Amino acid sequence: MRLPLKTRLYYGVGRHLPFLKIRPPEVDRDAVLVLRPGRNSAITWEQQNTGETILTIPLENSSNKGRINKFMSRWFRTPDERRVELDEVGGFVWELCDGNLTVEGIVQRAGKKYKMNRREAEVSVTMFLQMLHERKFIGLYKKVQKKSQGDRSV
Amino acid sequence: MTAAIVQKTEVGWQGISCELPPDWNVTGFSMDRDSGYLRVDSPGNGTTTVQIRWTNAAKPAQSQNNLYSIMAPHFRKLFRQPEPIVPETDLKANLEKVLKDTAKLAKKSKVSFESSIKAEKIEGDNEERTSINFSWTGAGKGQGKIWRCKTCNRVVVAQVVGLGKDQNSISSIAAQLFATLKDHSEDGYELWGLYDLKLYIPQDFRLESQKLLSGHLHLSFIRQAERVIFDRWGLANMTKKKFTLIEWFQNAAVTGLKKLKLSKIKLDSGHEAEIYTGPLSVIAKAQTVKESRSFRRFPTRFAGGVWECTETNKIFALQVCHSKKTVGLWEDIANRCFCHTSDDEYRDN
Repeated sequence: MRLPLKTRLYYGVGRHLPFLKIRPPEVDRDAVLVLRPGRNSAITWEQQNTGETILTIPLENSSNKGRINKFMSRWFRTPDERRVELDEVGGFVWELCDGNLTVEGIVQRAGKKYKMNRREAEVSVTMFLQMLHERKFIGLYKKVQKKSQGDRSV
Repeated sequence: MTAAIVQKTEVGWQGISCELPPDWNVTGFSMDRDSGYLRVDSPGNGTTTVQIRWTNAAKPAQSQNNLYSIMAPHFRKLFRQPEPIVPETDLKANLEKVLKDTAKLAKKSKVSFESSIKAEKIEGDNEERTSINFSWTGAGKGQGKIWRCKTCNRVVVAQVVGLGKDQNSISSIAAQLFATLKDHSEDGYELWGLYDLKLYIPQDFRLESQKLLSGHLHLSFIRQAERVIFDRWGLANMTKKKFTLIEWFQNAAVTGLKKLKLSKIKLDSGHEAEIYTGPLSVIAKAQTVKESRSFRRFPTRFAGGVWECTETNKIFALQVCHSKKTVGLWEDIANRCFCHTSDDEYRDN
């Protein structure tokens, strides 16, 4: 979810002028752990024999851009896609970002597989997911519990 | 011999050590040994925390930093004069100060504050502790203890703090904490325990620097000009795909290893360590003295080794720059590094 321009500007000013003491609202840790990361459907990936995972991210179609952009991209031959290499742990976490598992679940699985301390696993995985989210490789959503007629949660 | 299931976390920092339920982690600490703090948080939502503060009661509190207060200790040392007698710390006054600060927080949160202080008592194996138990209710709940130890001259305030709903867990954790909390070592080795690491270092070494990153722990200790540098890296299996242990260690070593002798040594933990030993180069000696600003225990020799703990998937490296007199320091510390849980049983035996 993209923040409104006004909010982005507000926090942008706060970041560059620290004496104004404008800080983004603190995110509750519990709220983050129940989020479910889901991969961007436009991204394809391939696992290498060496253990690394290569993500292929299509760049925005040049036809959608303005005339100048279109001209420049043709002139400079900009690529249609971008490739990002993830290491073994990154690839493992990426595979788990299928929208079914929560951040907590991913932390537990990564910690178990790579024998990491709970805190180490949590810090590494959440930082990595944050980075993926900032680059729009994944989306984070919260499963909403619907109430049916019998007042039972589904 | 089967590996015991460990139902506790051993925490150790600056001579303070305690046992807490599993998965509790250090989240805050100070570098100062004389007066510092340690904070350990519960796993999960982390509403329950253990806070430990300590001060050195043997050191007079310096009210002002003037020339006299700076020079006097040096002159006393030079003329071999005894240190001035420091008046005994008033535990109750210290405790009231702690409770006053907590009451301020409660006032800010606009909730009522109540506290109860129990009678002063003498405890400990050698009756070395004078302690007072206390509890409070305000912006949360807390159960704690303040004491003064005759052996190490420390005044320690330890408390378990949580939300009102955590009353039962606070009581049980406080019981475990106060039963296991130690403010000085018994055998001359201090525990440095955090994030599943248990490392025992001779108590006269002082922490010089630290790096606690996810996947990499770095602790550097200093004793006059001698140094002990400890590193632990996670994800050993991935590292070993690209580097051998020796290659990895060569990158992390504080000195050049080309002229040093490489040998293998079996540690008490069962792991095989590869260790470089030999004289320190002139540049390394100069660097050590520059960093430590001392010629005492002048380091002339280097011992540095690396080993892998397959049980925890971690790489351990220990480097020691030591004087000629301190022989066997590397082995001494390496054998007191407990990297995986079955070592607990080994240690008891």
